[in-house]
Amino acid sequence: MGRLLRAEVRKTFSTKLWWALLVPVALLSIVINLFGGLFTAAIPNEGAGLPLLLGSLAYALGLTGVFAACYGVVAMAGEFRHRTITTTYLMGPRRGRVLVAKMATSAAVGALYAAVVALVGVLAGLAGQAGGAPAVEQLLAVSAIGMAVAALWSALGSALGTVISNQVGALVGILVYLLLGELLISALLNSANSEAVRRLTAYLPGNAGDVAIYDIPAHVLAGNDLGPTVVETLAGVTAPPPWWGALLVLAVWVAAVAATGWVVGARRDVT
Amino acid sequence: MDDRSGRVTVRELSKRFGSITAVDGVTFSVEPGAVTGFLGPNGSGKTTTLRMILGLVTPTSGRARVNGVPFAELAHPARVVGAVLEAQGFHPGRTARKHLLVCAAAIGVPDAAVDHVLGSVGLAHAADRGVRGYSLGMRQRLALAVALLGDPQVLILDEPANGLDPEGIAWLRAFLRGFAAQGRSVLVSSHLLAEVEQTADHLVVISRGRCVFQGSLAQLRGSRQTRVLVQCPAPARLADALARTGVLEIDTLPDGRLGVAGTDSVHVGDVALAAGVAIHGLVEEKIDLEQLFFQLTTGPWRAG
Repeated sequence: MGRLLRAEVRKTFSTKLWWALLVPVALLSIVINLFGGLFTAAIPNEGAGLPLLLGSLAYALGLTGVFAACYGVVAMAGEFRHRTITTTYLMGPRRGRVLVAKMATSAAVGALYAAVVALVGVLAGLAGQAGGAPAVEQLLAVSAIGMAVAALWSALGSALGTVISNQVGALVGILVYLLLGELLISALLNSANSEAVRRLTAYLPGNAGDVAIYDIPAHVLAGNDLGPTVVETLAGVTAPPPWWGALLVLAVWVAAVAATGWVVGARRDVT
Repeated sequence: MDDRSGRVTVRELSKRFGSITAVDGVTFSVEPGAVTGFLGPNGSGKTTTLRMILGLVTPTSGRARVNGVPFAELAHPARVVGAVLEAQGFHPGRTARKHLLVCAAAIGVPDAAVDHVLGSVGLAHAADRGVRGYSLGMRQRLALAVALLGDPQVLILDEPANGLDPEGIAWLRAFLRGFAAQGRSVLVSSHLLAEVEQTADHLVVISRGRCVFQGSLAQLRGSRQTRVLVQCPAPARLADALARTGVLEIDTLPDGRLGVAGTDSVHVGDVALAAGVAIHGLVEEKIDLEQLFFQLTTGPWRAG
């Protein structure tokens, strides 16, 4: 397992993919957090003293999950695309171990993305912001949750890349789902009369990640009474669980896709 | 457990893809210290068989063993078997050295082995270039470098000569002979008999997924009689004279020559002299192995 992990780390840093996705998401984080700052400056009476940076940072971290998922998908499905999977399976014929090593490495890259996004986002926000600075522990908490969410999304991407080995198919699939599909499903569930059905929205993977990331900023910015409502609005869910519950939900989704990848990967003929 | 023999055994191996039977009950073994040539036309099931041996394709029935165990159960698969397969790819943006460093980490050999194999296959000068700019021959050399990285006991190569220039092919032949001479095993596939004729000690010929011949090159040659081709002005008289000595398998060739089977040129010359028939030309037919191979693989199936 150690050997496979070492090989995966070397694979990661011997192609451009990791920074080709990191650079745009980092730039996006700078823009978003500067914009948040400018937004605050434009309404000094409303926003003064409120640490709005926490909100813009959370938004940037939510987007990071999408980039992390794309990294995970390409890291795995790219092996099928470039047919390096033959060599990978010859060196590690226990395919389940290859999947775990790939998911673990992708998760680390996803966490790295979120860490960079948080770092440059905070710096940009502090530079551009006229409002109050958030407490250090709040920033650290949001960043840490963002790293966990990005790590989970990257791992899920790699598991998905094993299930759907066609790189374009897997990439389009996860992007369409995250950017459109889940919005539609959430809208459909939220329009239901039954409270139990509406509650399901918080258990969709994309929403769960957003809930985890928005939980703390919403409570800080809107107070404990209004916080859950803000999370409901931002994530488009009904009755969200706390951040740790939402992380758990996302982790269960990762495990489910990983289990599918384990079974599908083991049965696939590599021709 | 891994018996460390370096032997590959294939027993009644079959693979169906949907309604197509790609491999149909193939049985053979690859012995250490020899080069086994695995011959068959394109699409005859060679690649599928090799991939089943390597655990990349799951057999429908039958089994393949390396050192007595399925490939995936070897403790250090890449130290036992090195494989060069068709459609084994590289990331175009990764350099050859970095590709090998990834493999070295996965196998668990020191990084120094990378420079060693790069030198062995003659790629040291191009090691830090992206594989994107590599020719087919360079890719084959890189694939071989990957195969050699674990210093394996067994080499399995699928059509390794594809893309190699004549110099590269000659080098590969010498390399494989040397590898086998160290008591290790080589299984090399080709769709051309000529490619393995000078290298292989043992041949396995498959056609349409079935084994049609197994044995040495000498046995393959011996499976067809040689003929003496005689050019003479009076073929009918010579044929009569030969028939009286018990040589009855005589054909007339399209060019007017006689094709005499079951004897040699000395006997034909003696008979002609005794019968007073002039001989204008006398040659022993050289067996065209390629034609023989063609007959084997296109003719009706024969039991291996």
